[in-house]
Amino acid sequence: MLELRSLTRRFGDVTAVDAVSLTIAPGEMVGIIGRSGAGKSTLLRLINRLLDPSEGQVSFGGQDITALAGRPLLEWRGRCAMIFQQFNLVERLDVLTNVLIGRLYERNFMSSMAKHFTAAERTLAIQALDRLDLVPQALQRAATLSGGQQQRVAIARALVQDPRILLADEPIASLDPANATRVMDALRDINTNDGITVLVNLHTLDTARTYCGRIIAMRDGRVHFDGPPADLTSARLRDIYGTDNLEADIDESVTSTAIPARAA
Amino acid sequence: MSAVDGITAADIAAAQTRVPRAFFLTPRERAGRIVLWTIFIGLTAWCLYDFGFSPQRILAGLGKLGAIIAAMFPPSFDPELITEATLKIGETVAMAFLGTLVGALFAFPLSFLGAKNIIRLEFFRLGVRRGFDVIRAFETLVLALIFVRAFGLGPLAGILAIAVSDAGTMAKLFSEAIENTDNKPVEGVRAAGAARIKTIRYAVLPQVLPVILSNLLYQFESNTRSATILGIVGAGGIGFMLNERMRGYFWEDVTMIAILLVATVYAIDALSAWLRMKIIGRTKS
Repeated sequence: MLELRSLTRRFGDVTAVDAVSLTIAPGEMVGIIGRSGAGKSTLLRLINRLLDPSEGQVSFGGQDITALAGRPLLEWRGRCAMIFQQFNLVERLDVLTNVLIGRLYERNFMSSMAKHFTAAERTLAIQALDRLDLVPQALQRAATLSGGQQQRVAIARALVQDPRILLADEPIASLDPANATRVMDALRDINTNDGITVLVNLHTLDTARTYCGRIIAMRDGRVHFDGPPADLTSARLRDIYGTDNLEADIDESVTSTAIPARAA
Repeated sequence: MSAVDGITAADIAAAQTRVPRAFFLTPRERAGRIVLWTIFIGLTAWCLYDFGFSPQRILAGLGKLGAIIAAMFPPSFDPELITEATLKIGETVAMAFLGTLVGALFAFPLSFLGAKNIIRLEFFRLGVRRGFDVIRAFETLVLALIFVRAFGLGPLAGILAIAVSDAGTMAKLFSEAIENTDNKPVEGVRAAGAARIKTIRYAVLPQVLPVILSNLLYQFESNTRSATILGIVGAGGIGFMLNERMRGYFWEDVTMIAILLVATVYAIDALSAWLRMKIIGRTKS
């Protein structure tokens, strides 16, 4: 159980995340939507502790995450994998090493510095790459891969961390529809087959509706909607995205990255 | 329990058959590594042997160094010395400033001629690049020795030595900065119908200016230090005075000069940090 209690983060005068309280059950797949600057990325970074909150608390299974420091904090980051819009791979390293980075949090210092990974760790990494159809690329430099492939390498890195939670920050915003579908399918597969809780920030409403059983909408750092996709009406959307000066309702097909299913 | 504990020997064997190179070096890679390490260790050992390094020599040297350091304290606070040294340091900084400025004035236009993304004529560009190499082959001190013979003792020879060697170094650095620029803005400006020179002015120049400025400030700092040495060969500045005091065993004077030099370098460093902030501003990365 992941719990956020009046979580707040300020940057100077700007309150990016404003008293957010949420409870997320194990195994949920949650889509977080909202316009740019609504605080979605900051929220995920607060959960992983890449950022520290100004106020409030994150707890997981009764453990206070916001109080962690040193070794337990690194272990928490291991349990709480993260993938990014721009993939954030080390492009100069090969794919296999990028995946093995997911093991660093529990390895000893000297062998990590020397890049000595055990056969079992390498096998785990190859199994993860195999799940994402990337074994043939294992020894290539990450920079030589396409965006969709790089994002799947990032997912493989997350998998070898053996996480309880996967945070995905706009994972498909830089991808074409076919690759976006593969990445979202991979996230769904991890969610249903491995029982990993997935929190995914999305720009595309129809993706959120298709993949997520629960949608959280943020506006100006606050939660404006929390419920099943069916309850997300166009009136609610206008409120979330603040389309006061737009004449028509939001047309979800404009931002859609889905490939329309062929009529049977 | 860790995720790796679930991996069985059979899993490992399967993965090793599938992607052997993820586990083992090829014989060729292994041989390559052994050869490289052998050469590296061999060369190091040979250098140490050839120069006749021995722990005794280092220990004996350390003893004498200790005696010199003892003689350096307390530093001399003779007002006459401080005034003279300050004036000479001022001259040194002025030499570094003028030398850097003149060098940059030559390096800036030349650097565009040496950049791959500006000059498409390979043979011409490579010719320019080799020209930079020729200039850089002459260390500032060597140039100073030549210029002292030609232009006589004093700061002029020092300024010219700094300017010439800096022109070569900065032209190379600037060329590389120009080559490392992002092509996306260039495409954007070209697509708007701008001619070649205008594209360089609007898409390339804004990207390289911060790098050039950074380099320029660093060169100025570094030239202040080299200008100190130039004085020893008679090309003006504090170096002459420093050399003279050392020859006369006035170590306490040397300490005072060293303190003033450290203060000068600090001041230049602070000034250049401030200038960098003012001109480049806070930018990402």
